[in-house]
Amino acid sequence: MNIHINTPEGTRDRLFAECLERRQVQSALVELFRRRGYTEVITPEVEFYDLFIQSGNPIPQESMMKIIDRSGKIMVMRPDCTAPIARVAATKLRQLALPQRLYYDQTVFRDRLAHQGGSREIAQCGVEMIGAVGDKADLEMVAMAVDALRTCIPVPFHIELGHAGFYRALAGRMNMPQEEQERLRSAIEGKNFALLNDLLEPYRGEDVCAALRRLPYLFGGVEVLDEAQALAGPCGSLDHLRRLYAELSAAGYGDCVRFDLGLVHQLDYYTGLVFRGYAEGAGAPVLSGGRYDGLMEQFGRRAEAIGFAVDVDAVGACLTVEAPRLETVIHYGPGLLARALAVVDSRPAGSCELSPCRTLDSTMNLAREKGAAQVLLLDSGGERWMEV
Amino acid sequence: MSERLRIALTKGRLQEKSVKLFEAMGLDCAPVRNPGRRLIHALPNYPLDVVLAKAPDVITYVEHGVCDLGVVGKDTILEKGGAFYEVLDLGFGRCRFALAVKKGSDFYGTYKTRRIASKYPNVTRAFFEKKGMDVDIIKIEGSVELAPILDLADGIVDIVETGATLKENGLEPIEDVAQVSARLIVNTASMKLYKNEITDFLSRAERELGGNA
Repeated sequence: MNIHINTPEGTRDRLFAECLERRQVQSALVELFRRRGYTEVITPEVEFYDLFIQSGNPIPQESMMKIIDRSGKIMVMRPDCTAPIARVAATKLRQLALPQRLYYDQTVFRDRLAHQGGSREIAQCGVEMIGAVGDKADLEMVAMAVDALRTCIPVPFHIELGHAGFYRALAGRMNMPQEEQERLRSAIEGKNFALLNDLLEPYRGEDVCAALRRLPYLFGGVEVLDEAQALAGPCGSLDHLRRLYAELSAAGYGDCVRFDLGLVHQLDYYTGLVFRGYAEGAGAPVLSGGRYDGLMEQFGRRAEAIGFAVDVDAVGACLTVEAPRLETVIHYGPGLLARALAVVDSRPAGSCELSPCRTLDSTMNLAREKGAAQVLLLDSGGERWMEV
Repeated sequence: MSERLRIALTKGRLQEKSVKLFEAMGLDCAPVRNPGRRLIHALPNYPLDVVLAKAPDVITYVEHGVCDLGVVGKDTILEKGGAFYEVLDLGFGRCRFALAVKKGSDFYGTYKTRRIASKYPNVTRAFFEKKGMDVDIIKIEGSVELAPILDLADGIVDIVETGATLKENGLEPIEDVAQVSARLIVNTASMKLYKNEITDFLSRAERELGGNA
């Protein structure tokens, strides 16, 4: 019989240093989340397909990995962590006082087109704060996003803030059919300046037109908020971002915070602040989050929510972690197991191991094969170090 | 500190035109003009490294962030899709996607499901989906004009420049599907991380394009 000995496309075996990278990022993040009062939730890897359709977060159906169970129901490998956590918070945690601070450290699954080099398994670490609204809740989240990247990335990074309300306010002032608004939104999201100009051409008389045309360029330092205000007039979302920035700067986070008012993805889902994290050397955002106050209601409980997720392996790729090297092999005589183990336990992990061989000669051979530098001989005569 | 940007150019005609544009922008493109055996061409007077690639690969390199910028035709963007910023219509490499059929045939006048041959199955699917029309799509790798002549397909969706090839083979374009020209695309993370460098490059290009328009 022919058995498959390779892994399916988009999956991989992670070995040694790759595991260390992932674990190092996960443990740094989890430690931070716990310190800030977040508690862990583990949700099933397999959920009903309907859950993710209902959540209003448009995950295209072709990117969900589906399973039909024995009763004929359609299940999916969890494509996202936020919807399941909203489900839990709306049902099982119903009686608990708000706000609830929850974190997760689990894998999401997304199907991809063949041969694009993407992974179908994405390790995510993230947080959700449910039932808190206002500047302070937003501040806590952004500060934690900065700290999350600060604790685990050795390269320059920044968090970029946007606001779903800004584009909505502008688009709302335009007299534009729904379908065209969607094309407008996607042109701004894709910074497609050429298409944007074409779309706006018939509306050039309207005063918000200049602001919309400029929207894809409105990213960078805090000065973009002033430029936006000059173009669009006073706006609650801009004031909100300005207040956040002032508080973040006072708390020492200002250097890591920038803005992109053209961050207009998934507008049906996000209701306020949206943010993303970028790290030097990573070709895509390593962190992504925002406020989605409408989500919980889909599951029958009215509560605001804000959260973010870190792409653990994208962050891990910014690290240089080396697997430990074997230095010492221990050959021990009868009755000396405890001493041998004491030596192993006192060394850095992975640098020292016991020899299972009966004769010293075999141990020396073993040490040579495995590239160890020395053998420690423990016998009734005491201990002796031997170069390999 | 100024970062060196890396740009992927689509080999062939778009490469020629891109190099001309860059030179008009004041960039010394001698290393691209005399490539030798090198694969990465560092420009001497501007912080830009140039690589040459086939059109779909330009998108792949930019999407994965190994190139910050790319020059690629809108035809490839429409067919392949992907997540990147499409910041500038470079104006050259102009042509159009059109639906062409055998001269005199009545493409829409039947309830039978039509069969379309194309090198661009995704563009074709999107076009007919928008019309709410079911069609069979057949992917052809070479001269698509052959398919209707051999009665394999009722029509083709393909790039049309002058229409001369179609005419010679007894076909005629009956409908435009999309306009095509070369685009400058940018990796989403690079845009944020190297804003100053990319803005400088963009505004030089815009100034040059605006001057010619």
